[in-house]
Amino acid sequence: MAKATTSIRRQLILMVAAVLIVINIIALWSAHIYANRAAKESYDRLLYGSALQMAENITILDSQVFIDLPVSAFETLALSASDRAFYAIMNGRYQVLTGYKDLPSIPFTQLLQQSSEKEKFIPIYYETMYHGEEVRFVALGKRLLEADSVNDVFIIVGQTSDARRAAATEVSQMALQFVALFFVITLLLLLFVIWRVLQPLQAIKQAITERSPQELSPLEANVPSEVAPLLKSINYFMAQLDNTLSRLQRFTAEAAHQIRTPLAGLNSQAQNAIDETDEALRQKQLQHILESSNVLTGTVNQLLSRATLTHRYQSHPFSPVSLDHVVKETCRELVVWALERQVEIEYLGDIQVTIKGDEFALKQMLQNIIENAIKYSPKGGVVEVELMVMNELADASIRLQIRDQGVGVPDKDKEHIFEYFYRSPDNFTSGSGIGLSIAKDVAEHHDARFHLKDNSPSGLIVEVSFPQQKGLLYES
Amino acid sequence: MKVSCRLGLCLILFSHIALAGPAQSGRSIIFPSLNKQPKLEEEVLTVYGAVNHRVISPLFKAYQEAYSNVAIHYTESNTRHLYEQFLSEPNNRPDVMLSPAMDLQFKLANDGYALAYDSPELGRVPKDSHWRSELFGFTYEPIVTAINTDILAREALPQSREQLLNLIRSKNHLLDEKIGLFDIQQSGLGYLAWAYDGQQSRSYGRLLEAFGTHQAQLYTDTASMLDGLLKGQIFIAYNLVGAYSYQWTQKYSWIKTIMPTDYTTIIMRTAFIPRDAQQPTLAKRFIDLLLSPEGQHILANQSALTPISAKVKGPFSRDELNKLPHGIFRPIPLGLELLIQTDDAKKRLIYSEWRDAIQPELKRKK
Repeated sequence: MAKATTSIRRQLILMVAAVLIVINIIALWSAHIYANRAAKESYDRLLYGSALQMAENITILDSQVFIDLPVSAFETLALSASDRAFYAIMNGRYQVLTGYKDLPSIPFTQLLQQSSEKEKFIPIYYETMYHGEEVRFVALGKRLLEADSVNDVFIIVGQTSDARRAAATEVSQMALQFVALFFVITLLLLLFVIWRVLQPLQAIKQAITERSPQELSPLEANVPSEVAPLLKSINYFMAQLDNTLSRLQRFTAEAAHQIRTPLAGLNSQAQNAIDETDEALRQKQLQHILESSNVLTGTVNQLLSRATLTHRYQSHPFSPVSLDHVVKETCRELVVWALERQVEIEYLGDIQVTIKGDEFALKQMLQNIIENAIKYSPKGGVVEVELMVMNELADASIRLQIRDQGVGVPDKDKEHIFEYFYRSPDNFTSGSGIGLSIAKDVAEHHDARFHLKDNSPSGLIVEVSFPQQKGLLYES
Repeated sequence: MKVSCRLGLCLILFSHIALAGPAQSGRSIIFPSLNKQPKLEEEVLTVYGAVNHRVISPLFKAYQEAYSNVAIHYTESNTRHLYEQFLSEPNNRPDVMLSPAMDLQFKLANDGYALAYDSPELGRVPKDSHWRSELFGFTYEPIVTAINTDILAREALPQSREQLLNLIRSKNHLLDEKIGLFDIQQSGLGYLAWAYDGQQSRSYGRLLEAFGTHQAQLYTDTASMLDGLLKGQIFIAYNLVGAYSYQWTQKYSWIKTIMPTDYTTIIMRTAFIPRDAQQPTLAKRFIDLLLSPEGQHILANQSALTPISAKVKGPFSRDELNKLPHGIFRPIPLGLELLIQTDDAKKRLIYSEWRDAIQPELKRKK
């Protein structure tokens, strides 16, 4: 069972949520800063406006400062309904002309400096504690001109910050509400988008789940280009599976047939032998039974060996195998059997070579090829087995050839010779027809190429080319 | 029963005094607790007010019915005296301050002398009737003019300030020394109403001139002014609190009360709990009662004060007030605008105009 890594959907959602949270926090923070600044500025303007209105109504007559504060100055302050306000009008000698007598931290130095510079007065803002509350003040100078004398008065107006804070909080809260709404909507939209984007994968899964196990036709689904390779791979895999399955089916059918026919023959031959009264004939029939039984044994053995090989492929990892040794050993084992059929086996080549592979499987392959060569060799024929290293092409390879001097295989049959139970129509030798297909399977399992060539003047060359394998030595 | 009898007795006793003389200095009245359970310890709620004790006593009674172990010490004096005493005697501050002088009360609250209290009753009264949960307006009272109709002869009752000026002009010397005014230098409420007139009306200057020419009499409290009106010492009393004047009108048919139809100033009596109150909890309960529908109902039915709540029914409710002939109601806003009324420079200006016109050294009547 493949272990699932973190789901794409979850990763996407987490990332999207994280990005959104970061963006929203930044937005909130900016809104908060903006709200504070906006509130401060607007309430500072009210304060300044109030001071200006007071200044407007301060006049001088006969060196006497005349103050008639307008209601509007206080109405301006009253716009922040829940704040206390304090004010004082002072002259240049620190005397309070009207208003609060004990306002703290009045920036006299700055005011007097502005006063002495004869420039336009600019408002000075400052914050200080008064009556136990933080109060924001504005101090503004006003120049009173009369004949040849100049008199400056200072207007100080202050207000507690409840309204500013409330205004800033209100804006911040509005921003919070907006951001929260934005967050939810964006998240929902993105969840929808993610769902939409990942839907093709879901569709593929659905399509596969809904299929019957036998259905292996390609999946038809409209998917985005990113998912198309996946679909292609799945379809390719299914085609392979289909192929394998149908081969297996054919194999099973053929194997059943191959076993049933000789068994039926054996059955009838045995029956005949029982009924036979002539001892000589009966002996001959029993001989036939034995031969048929041998053939059947061979077939069953090969089927079993194939099954074994199939099992080994899945369970045995490759290990270093001395190929020349295996070849020589196989030749030795078959030489007696060959001589019985008056066929010689000749081993050519003197190289030592080690490849990575499955020794048992390789031996099965060699056995099958050589047995086959012996079977089709004429009496007195020679089967040549040669192992060589080819350096002709850019990549060196190990090549194994088994050459016989039989009738050979016509080109039209070369394609079919590896099919299970295939036997050339004009072939009368006993055999199961599995041998070469097993050999080819083993070769392919070792990434080797399997070739059939014509020998001259007649006969078949079976050539197995192993690719070069790094880190393994071959010595000449 | 014994207790309420005693209460009734002292009410009668003091009501007489209250009407007889000016309330210059504070006068204390004790409302003993109704405590019948000796287990409960008696507590004292101290109230300073520029509200006639007869007017406020139904509220005290209701309070004591709810909290029977509480005795109420009520000190009554005029608005300016109340303010000055509050500032000059920091060790002798009450648990509740009641006054119609909105500007003085506001100044104290703005300067941080008031305790903030988020009364649950605040939701039931108009939004602009309280400030910062510190100062609570509890009445809605017109500033009126009272006229002794004897002066009118066959002429129509004046309805506006303009008509009042016409009347003064036509009666001319008949009205010399026969116009009654609050001494704005002595009465906080008088100053508030007069300064507010200065902001509102174009007739303000001509009124002042007319009052000066006819050597208006100056009073420091409503009761003595109404008494003067009744006795024929004056025929016109300008800028009175409606509640008292309407009571007089009910009693004496020849005294008429007018809400000027050009505009009618509305004042709120306000209450606050001083920050250094001895009994803040008792005081908070009193504020709750004052603003509650029950307290407002008492004002509209027993105290003859128009309550701030517009929903309450009764002979002195806002509904009834609206039915009387009146001009545009101009409530004095309970807010920072009131600071202008307490501004020294402004006060000096108004005082000097006033003195120039009325010359109090010669005309002032004690």
